[in-house]
Amino acid sequence: MAPLYRLESVRKSYPGKVALEIPALTIDEGRIHSLTGPNGSGKSTLLSILAFLSPPTSGALYYDGERVDWKGRSLVSLRKEATLLHQSPYLFEGSVSANITFGLKVRGVEGEKQQCRIAEALEMVGLGGFEQRRARALSGGEMQRVALARALALSPRVLLLDEPLANVDRRSAEVIRAVILSLSGKGTTVIMTTHDMRPPERMNGDVIHLEDGRLSTETESHAKL
Amino acid sequence: MDFLIESLKAAAALIANGDPELSHAVWTSVYVSVWSIVFASLVGIPAGLAIGLSEFPLKRPVITALNSLMAVPTVLIGLLVYGFISRQGPFGAWGMLFTPTAIIIGDALLAAPIVANYTLSSVRGAHAAILPTAMTLGGDRLQSVLKFLSEIRFGMMAAVISGFGRVISEVGVAMMLGGNILGYTRTMTTAIALETSKGEFALGIALGGVLMAVAFAVNIIFQFLQRR
Repeated sequence: MAPLYRLESVRKSYPGKVALEIPALTIDEGRIHSLTGPNGSGKSTLLSILAFLSPPTSGALYYDGERVDWKGRSLVSLRKEATLLHQSPYLFEGSVSANITFGLKVRGVEGEKQQCRIAEALEMVGLGGFEQRRARALSGGEMQRVALARALALSPRVLLLDEPLANVDRRSAEVIRAVILSLSGKGTTVIMTTHDMRPPERMNGDVIHLEDGRLSTETESHAKL
Repeated sequence: MDFLIESLKAAAALIANGDPELSHAVWTSVYVSVWSIVFASLVGIPAGLAIGLSEFPLKRPVITALNSLMAVPTVLIGLLVYGFISRQGPFGAWGMLFTPTAIIIGDALLAAPIVANYTLSSVRGAHAAILPTAMTLGGDRLQSVLKFLSEIRFGMMAAVISGFGRVISEVGVAMMLGGNILGYTRTMTTAIALETSKGEFALGIALGGVLMAVAFAVNIIFQFLQRR
């Protein structure tokens, strides 16, 4: 399978600190990839680069064989393919439906089609009928699921998840896990960070392990060093 | 005490009967305040957003300067604008001195730093994830910034209301640039100052009451919009 992402000599640094330094890494399409490592190891930084939100300080990122130039329209197009779900997702003021509408609207999905996509996404995360509920009045787990539904409604080619199972109740964790597993069956590439190295927690995905911003030898086959 | 009670009764009668002098001062105050806050917002909101959302080398000194501008005395602004629009000034030929336009210019200069500062505060206080969330959902720069503005709209409304509160209650600019001309540039605040100095305490109280009512009304509207 052709790699979806290819990183070459990628380095991200902040004043006085190198957050990430990856000589080479490829990430295949249509699989679950678990990005593991302790706090401050560079997981979120890498996720942010893969979501095309933050350019590396130096080095090259290739997506689908093309080098990412981090400029203008092409960047906006790339962001429409890869959606990042933060660990503590920000929900916009207003209803659940209004939250999911934003991404659909910027893609030109309107009217009945928009309503169908919203309903389907909410059904997938077990929140069918929540359209008119005020997003910020929901519980933490429900908010996490709304954020997941907001991403799912966009049918992204890549779904990037920052600690999706942290700080959620058991019911929400089960739903989120089931959704993630179903996505890989549909060809969506899932890249998720997790602290937990146990196979069920990383959903048997390929492991990309980071230590102090560098890839460690625990990184497994399909995400190739 | 009797003097105060009699004055309050007379003030109530003036308001109830729609005294023309009082009505005109109220109208002039609201007119110049609304227009000056419109112009101040047109400058102050984009300035606050630009400073808050971008990084540039002199950002900190610019913010300090903006903070300092909030404390500029109204008479100083009056003096500055007076220098420009008086007969000898560069814009003297336009004949703006002692007109409502002059008050609007001065009040807009007074309110713009307030609006900019409060807008900047709401940008800095906004959740750091708003823009990245809008961008990762596929929004381009403009769509993401518009979403950001919609999320901080109450902060911006507070900025506008603070500016409005400042201009509707100020005396220095209105007095120096408007000239307190009866039926033309006399505002509530300049009328209060004049009538009280003349011993017309009742009209002063009536105007003060209306001024308070306008301030309360604006805040009530703001609270109502916030709850929606």
